[in-house]
Amino acid sequence: MKEQNKVKIAILLGIMCFFLTAGIAIQINTVRKSSTTVGKTMVENELRDSVLRWKQKYENAYFSLNKKEEELDSLREKVSTTDGSHIDLTNQLKNYNLLLGNTELIGRGIEITLKDGDPSILKGYESDYIVHDGDLYQIVNALKNAGAEAISINEQRIVVNTAITCVGNTVLINDEKVGAPYIIKAIGSPAGLYGSITIPGGYLKLLELEGVNVSVKTIEKDTLIIPKYNGIYKFDYAKISE
Amino acid sequence: MKGKITMTITIGCTALILTMIMFTQFKTVDKTDITVIETMRETELRSELASWRDKYEEIEEKIEETNSKINEYEQELQNDVNTANLLQQEVKEAEGYLGYTNLQGEGIKVTLQDTEFKSITYSDLLRLVNELNAAGADAISINDERIISRTDITVVNNIKILINARRVTSPYIVKAIGDKKYLESALTVKNGYIDEIRFEEKLIDCTVEDNIFIPAYEGTYKEKQDFNYAKENKVEE
Repeated sequence: MKEQNKVKIAILLGIMCFFLTAGIAIQINTVRKSSTTVGKTMVENELRDSVLRWKQKYENAYFSLNKKEEELDSLREKVSTTDGSHIDLTNQLKNYNLLLGNTELIGRGIEITLKDGDPSILKGYESDYIVHDGDLYQIVNALKNAGAEAISINEQRIVVNTAITCVGNTVLINDEKVGAPYIIKAIGSPAGLYGSITIPGGYLKLLELEGVNVSVKTIEKDTLIIPKYNGIYKFDYAKISE
Repeated sequence: MKGKITMTITIGCTALILTMIMFTQFKTVDKTDITVIETMRETELRSELASWRDKYEEIEEKIEETNSKINEYEQELQNDVNTANLLQQEVKEAEGYLGYTNLQGEGIKVTLQDTEFKSITYSDLLRLVNELNAAGADAISINDERIISRTDITVVNNIKILINARRVTSPYIVKAIGDKKYLESALTVKNGYIDEIRFEEKLIDCTVEDNIFIPAYEGTYKEKQDFNYAKENKVEE
């Protein structure tokens, strides 16, 4: 009788220990996997999904806006042809839209490519040979000084209220993410832009000295295409004052 | 009897230790859920989501605006009255964005000043313009030089600062029209622009104003109003 009791207890305890150990094993596994825990990934995946959905929605809206603008343009043309006196105004408006960055442009100029330096070759601070947001707006400023008529970085048109900022490791231009290599295009006199931007002591030369990979090429034929600004102009607070 | 008690105690102890390990494990799981990387990834996604939503709404608004313009044009065309008015309105609006008109509205005024030991550099001004743009400024001027799309801020001989090819000197009064609270907080945020300028022992002051006046651009680009090298890239149909 006593012997049987002992066996029963031993079995019971054995089962308990088994469960506890299994529990621990499961827990350890969960911890290991926690970077991809189910709940977390679900939230993130959902977020990723809705980011994509909104991006898609934006792109669709952007496309239909372009269609509407074309329609408006042809209406303006119609207005100016039926009534010849408005041709000046229509042309002026067209030219303004060109200046504002509302059209894709083509022309001559230069193309600058900036790549982060290779840390395995370079010594010193890694921060020096990485391209920062500040480097980009310095180059943009230098290009404007050299007389560039239109500038883009990685297909983002630089307009009057363009901000070049960074969040963590990514650079934002016109609120959109851009990454290295940075391809900066500028339309203007190829020789003038080139001479001015590669001047010793200029910002581009400084970047090169710090270890950033810089290459500049002039484009002598009208093949350089600069995209239109993909944002919209709108004053929220400013009013025209006479 | 004695053996039984020893056994019970030993087993009890083992069970206790096992349970404790389990609890520690549970806690670790809880903590790993809020590791920095995880939350960063999620917040990053959230901010991206918000940004796309904003952009979408902006575009939708613009579509509505374009639609109403189309309607106006169509009506005017039918009635054959003054279509010039509409065109003039649009031209005027574009001139505002180009910087060819005076503007007013709420905003902030930032004053930067040289001291005996420290001078404001062109980079300080360039960065400030970028910061203000990032905070959504409608328009910016420095010492009444309007910032337009082709404005450059340069330095000659390390002392003379030129904006729109005209010399500006200290004190630099930078005006920006926009959401005054937002503009101010974008600069005064901890370790933000103002903190950094002060850290370099330079003088800076920022005031919020209800009515800021920003003058029109009066440089050479306004007279020319044309591109010499850039042409519209027309898609051939």
